[in-house]
Amino acid sequence: MELAFQLIFSFGVFLLLLAAGMAVPFAIAVPGVLYLLMQHGLTALKGIGLVTWGSMNSFTLTAIPLFILMAELMQRSGLSFRIYRGLAKVVSRLPGGLLQTNIVGCALFASISGSSVATAASIGGVALPQLIQRHYDRRLSAGSLAAGGTLGILLPPSIAMIIYGSFTESSVAKLFMAGVIPGVMLMLMFMAYIAVRSFFGSAVPRGAPPDGISVLTAAADIVPFALLIGGIMGSIYAGWATPTEAASGGCAFALILCLIWGDLTWAHFVEAMHRTVQIVGNLLFIIYSAYVYAYAIGVAGVGESVTHWLIGLNLSHMQFFGALFVLYTVLGCLVESIGMIVITVPLIYPVLGNYGIDPIWFGVILVMYVELGQISPPIGINLFVIQSIWDGELSDVVMGTIPFHIIMFVLLFLLTAFPQLALWLPSQM
Amino acid sequence: MEDPEFPGEEQEAAFHPAPSWMERGCMLICEIGIVAMAIIVLVEIVTRNLFGFSFEASEELGGYIVVGISFLSLPVCQVYRSYHHVQFVQERLSPRMRAASHILFDVLSLGFCVLLVWQLSRFVLQSYHSEDVAMTLLATPLWIPQSVMPLGALAASVSLLRTLIGNVRKFLAAR
Repeated sequence: MELAFQLIFSFGVFLLLLAAGMAVPFAIAVPGVLYLLMQHGLTALKGIGLVTWGSMNSFTLTAIPLFILMAELMQRSGLSFRIYRGLAKVVSRLPGGLLQTNIVGCALFASISGSSVATAASIGGVALPQLIQRHYDRRLSAGSLAAGGTLGILLPPSIAMIIYGSFTESSVAKLFMAGVIPGVMLMLMFMAYIAVRSFFGSAVPRGAPPDGISVLTAAADIVPFALLIGGIMGSIYAGWATPTEAASGGCAFALILCLIWGDLTWAHFVEAMHRTVQIVGNLLFIIYSAYVYAYAIGVAGVGESVTHWLIGLNLSHMQFFGALFVLYTVLGCLVESIGMIVITVPLIYPVLGNYGIDPIWFGVILVMYVELGQISPPIGINLFVIQSIWDGELSDVVMGTIPFHIIMFVLLFLLTAFPQLALWLPSQM
Repeated sequence: MEDPEFPGEEQEAAFHPAPSWMERGCMLICEIGIVAMAIIVLVEIVTRNLFGFSFEASEELGGYIVVGISFLSLPVCQVYRSYHHVQFVQERLSPRMRAASHILFDVLSLGFCVLLVWQLSRFVLQSYHSEDVAMTLLATPLWIPQSVMPLGALAASVSLLRTLIGNVRKFLAAR
């Protein structure tokens, strides 16, 4: 009982500091250290050196800076504009016009960037001015971009999956592959919703039918990215390269693309490097802080207690999934996305085996919950990204994402009912 | 959740420390580290697939570089305000209360970093005295890559101290 109280206390301090506005990594690390001190005083701190070295000296994590650098290079050299322009010519004939381009553009950029924020910011920055100029429904426009951005962490390469893989020692390559079918399904479901809205709801303009020349120019805009995505995914799927090697090769190829097709100057390159260091530093510190917190939980023996308690409840599969659903839906509204993974996985992961849950499948489900968290008020970061580009009301962005929330819940249900949707592709590797 | 680049923080910038040679130097080292990592892994791919041999060092060096970036980016992220913050409570506070809360956060964060400097220095010294080496072909003396950890934590402490001073000035100015 005392352990439970201490865990609740430290988690409460974490939520309090987070909500009060402390930097996320420090808001995780400080309660972790407090928890250690509550357990064994200063002697408990002696393990921090070993934990630090053991957790951060990880080859799995090397993929993160490289994928982020690749996305930053493409973003800074204006290639997201070319993706959007190319897709607009091809996809905007579908019911929903440019809104369909938002979704496909987000999916395509997601397959390069691995980050939901980068995806929403890149495509949103290009799309929103055109959508507003052509009088598209403001809520639907903002909602489609905020929700489309979340594809960035479900479709491979996914930074969230790399982090999950590093915590659970699961195969990152298999996690990447497990995200492909759900990611494509989610994209198609988003597109179907927009098509239905354009038929029955507010009128949305359609693009002009493409002629031969515009199809060719569209192909010139899209094909290089298709090659880049195909190269990264193909090399991982075929087992020719690890995710880190694919990321490194992707960086080199992206650099060539940016030089030939983009507007990459030395200033852009330096800017991309600066942003990469800042984004990576933030992510790695969150991961490190979570390891400190997990160490505190481990020292206290709380992890084992929670595991025994959860097993002792003898929940059915559906009850367990229901509990996860409630837990992550609530946490998604309160806790920063990556923080949600790193704080909960050390506690829940040991239980998965007892409930016969595949860790790869769970990784996909967890990433779906993180996606939901990124468009859930009050802290869903994609909402703020789109609002800041759009300069409109946050409430409109929030209202625009609600239908996409429902679609994501439908996909979660499908994944729970049919786990093979996620597990079939990795099983073919 | 608000990204530091976005509105609401402009007024904070006046009291926030500007990047010094230390943060700029740390950023440059991190950038060199990322480029080096990409090159090392690329060379490994080329030699393995074209020439059929491996240096068997990319995993080891990649891990060291990640450790280096993790700690040397701490002062960079602090001064460039790259850490994510939840803003919905902060936006409702008066400027004075906001400054007071920032002082509290800085003190707690500084305490954590000082503790890291202490514990990580102990760890590196232990590693140095016991002559730990990596069980790899390079047989790297581990204290070399490990020493980046306390150095980064120390640099972060300095940056946090500068931030704390700025926030105290902001608190006094908001009177």
